[in-house]
Amino acid sequence: MPLLINRAVVDDSWLLVDEDNLTAHINEDIVVPYELFAQHLEQLVNAEGKLGVRINGDQALELLLQHLDALSLVAIEFPAFTDGRGFSFARMLRRAGFAGQIRAEGDVTRDRLDHMQRCGFDAFAIPDERYSDAILSAFDEVPVHYQGSADDERPIFRQ
Amino acid sequence: MYQYNEQDQTLINARVEQYRDQTRRFLAGEIPDEEFRGLRLMNGLYIQRQAPMLRIAVPYGLMNSVQVRKLADITRKYDKNYAHFTTRTNVQLNWPKLEEVPDILAELAEVQMHAIQTSGNCLRNTTTDHFAGIIPDEIEDPRPWCEIIRQWTTLHPEFAYLPRKFKIAVTGGPEDRAASQVHDIGLHMVKNAAGEVGFEVLVGGGLGRTPVIGKLIREFLPKRDLLTYLEAILRVYNLNGRRDNKYKARIKILVNALGIEEFSKRVEAEWEIIRSTELALTDDYIAKIQGYFEPHPYAADAVDGLSVLENQLDDNAEFRAWYERNTREHKIAGYRAVVISLKPHLKPPGDITDVQLDAVADLADTFNFGEIRSTHDQNLVFAHVAAGDLYTLWQSLRDLNLARANVGTLTDMIVCPGYDFCSLANAHTLGVAEQINEKFDDLDYLYDIGDIKLNMSGCINACAHHHVAHIGILGVDKGGEDYYQITLGGSSREDASLGKIIGKSVPQADVADTVEKILQVYVESRLEDERFIETVRRIGVAPFKERVYATVN
Repeated sequence: MPLLINRAVVDDSWLLVDEDNLTAHINEDIVVPYELFAQHLEQLVNAEGKLGVRINGDQALELLLQHLDALSLVAIEFPAFTDGRGFSFARMLRRAGFAGQIRAEGDVTRDRLDHMQRCGFDAFAIPDERYSDAILSAFDEVPVHYQGSADDERPIFRQ
Repeated sequence: MYQYNEQDQTLINARVEQYRDQTRRFLAGEIPDEEFRGLRLMNGLYIQRQAPMLRIAVPYGLMNSVQVRKLADITRKYDKNYAHFTTRTNVQLNWPKLEEVPDILAELAEVQMHAIQTSGNCLRNTTTDHFAGIIPDEIEDPRPWCEIIRQWTTLHPEFAYLPRKFKIAVTGGPEDRAASQVHDIGLHMVKNAAGEVGFEVLVGGGLGRTPVIGKLIREFLPKRDLLTYLEAILRVYNLNGRRDNKYKARIKILVNALGIEEFSKRVEAEWEIIRSTELALTDDYIAKIQGYFEPHPYAADAVDGLSVLENQLDDNAEFRAWYERNTREHKIAGYRAVVISLKPHLKPPGDITDVQLDAVADLADTFNFGEIRSTHDQNLVFAHVAAGDLYTLWQSLRDLNLARANVGTLTDMIVCPGYDFCSLANAHTLGVAEQINEKFDDLDYLYDIGDIKLNMSGCINACAHHHVAHIGILGVDKGGEDYYQITLGGSSREDASLGKIIGKSVPQADVADTVEKILQVYVESRLEDERFIETVRRIGVAPFKERVYATVN
């Protein structure tokens, strides 16, 4: 699954762990599912490696917002391309000052990349069958923005 | 009216090319059907029963003659020489080809038009009062605020994939001609105790399968806070609205589930965070947008036409009937607003031909400062016609079959296209509209019945707002036959109410006869000058029910 960061395909240096292998990798750079994060909160925020959490729209962003200092990555899952909750999650993370990676996962395809980027996503895990190099032209197809966005908060009337 | 600057034009042009590329990739098999569906809907393209349907945005119902001529041209070039106006004041083409839609959009962009967000689960076209800017008791012209909302909603990156569609209506004064109380958000311009003008905000209204009147969420919202407050509502909705069942996904369901207090608490909490951000409006921006809606250069001597008009009214009863039913007061002495009826005898309500569109554009240039408005009840409005021009305008409209003197009467129906075109519909509507037209062709009878609102939808999605009509007709499918359920006592106005079902649905052949029985009860029961809706409210639906379902001996 190609991972797009800064409009280039990069290797994913993060390890996704589950309940079974959490202890073995706890001091590495890992991404844990939200449930594990909630369960092992203390242990995880004090571990040595960098920490990422994978969250979806049914889960409470509030918990992540309370521990942003301990997080280097938030992976937001899109169970379907029609599920727009992740856009708001990214926006709320950025406005809270989160400077780590916000990664879009799940049903992530070309025609939503630009909106995702504007809401604060900077990494996109794209399913193999939906990836082609042409996808890079999905960004900035519409160069004028009426609304502010994560990288420029000014709406059109303050630009 | 608002004129695009270079940025607006760049955005619209870029959007056309973006959609052209999406269409190309879909046709090349690179985008799955279901995903392209989402993309095309956000650009107004449906796949209907017989052909695609393209819904073109008419932001807050305001057009100029150049745009209307372009619409005429497009219906000739890409469609079957007619278009259809909708309750969102938009305009639909019923026969475009999917492959040609990008070309249609490119042509529309030439005249500052588009189809952005006319469908799909996103922020839709904002609507307003079709008499905005000309009403004597208006607190403020709502159209600049509609334009500010249009810009904020257009291609909003966070709210393009909402749980369900989202509609906003704005009114400028105490009268409500925009059905604002049955919108996801209704904004009313009001004055507070300190004399400042701002907005009263309603939330969670809607029609469809669960009709709900909007609830008051904020009594007074200062102008500069408009977008931050809307954004707060939208964010709470985007995060919390149901996504598991499309019939329970509108904001009305969320507001009812949480209760207005809890919903309001969440909105206020979010608003506190964003209220003072860059999204707060600036005085410069507000003034700049308002500058586009300055009054037209009205002629000081327009009042001179009033005496001529008096004579013309005295001499011609047909003209007088039209004047009384189809024109309205204007705040400038010597001017009237004219409603152009798109409800001619035995034609689909809201339809207009290419020839009529061209002629309307020419008439607007001659008599109405080049301005044309579309209304939520599927008519057009020339808002600023000098008294001395009314007779000539009436003659021209009459020759075009656009001067039926039935505005506000029984045959001024809102009707969705129904089963003939729409793939969602359960029942036909156009044939029934014809049946009603045939039955109630006598103008004297219609005038005697007076102000009445009859709306007919071909399915529970309620595109024709049947719940808020004085007489609502809903088509249902009963074992393959079209039946019609009747509601009475609805209103979409400032006294908004939902109609009550009078009983079991009636067969197609009986609809007009049923309406006739209902009207008989009204005529027998009305007090002096009492309008139909007032009688229904006073006596309840029981007497109507009794008459409609009385056993025939």
